[in-house]
Amino acid sequence: MKEYLLLFRGGDAMKGMSAEEMQVHMQQWMQWMGELNAKGKFSGAQPLINTGKVITGTKKVVSDGPFMEGKEMVGGYLILKAGNYDEAVQLSDDCPVLAFDDGTVEVREIQELQM
Amino acid sequence: MFFKHEQPDPESSPEQMQEVLKQWQTWIKGIAQKGNYSSTNRLLSTGKTLKPNNVITDGPHMESKEMIGGYLIVNTNSLDEAVEIAKTCPNLKGGNGVVEVRAVMSIDANPDSDNFLYEK
Repeated sequence: MKEYLLLFRGGDAMKGMSAEEMQVHMQQWMQWMGELNAKGKFSGAQPLINTGKVITGTKKVVSDGPFMEGKEMVGGYLILKAGNYDEAVQLSDDCPVLAFDDGTVEVREIQELQM
Repeated sequence: MFFKHEQPDPESSPEQMQEVLKQWQTWIKGIAQKGNYSSTNRLLSTGKTLKPNNVITDGPHMESKEMIGGYLIVNTNSLDEAVEIAKTCPNLKGGNGVVEVRAVMSIDANPDSDNFLYEK
């Protein structure tokens, strides 16, 4: 079993949601992740706060960020266990972020570091 | 922290690769010794990107010219403290490397808990 990092982007429309809509949306995430966990495919997940800092190059220029369009900003991640990319993609395709027009899920195979 | 770099990677010899790897090992071990280390992973440069309506494209998601090559989670008391650690990252030695530092939302991450995903 390999591990895959899923990066969620988009879903800016979430900001305009009412408290009730937000509740329903959160429940969809919980249900989706709960199902992954029940299948033994869930390894961990965290949402990220929208603020941040970006450090660039040898001069180590620090800028406030990420300051990119919502659709380009990583809003959270999840680590998935799957046998191959096909399975990882299939497990990702009902992710709630894909309910938004600008939502994307980036699926990346993890190469574990020998520490 | 997300480590970003431009693709394609410059061609490097096995010796250079070894040297770079050593820099990363030293850097991360230093973070661990100070008690700030939580976890890290390097990502393969392969990937798939899913969009609504079953659109699936090959390859990692490219943000302008950059792609995410790996990440590291550190425990610090502030974003500024994490930035100070990030400034010493080997990814910034190449010239066009970028480190994005983001605060992780403090949630209950145990899927078996009744408070799963709720803010602590």
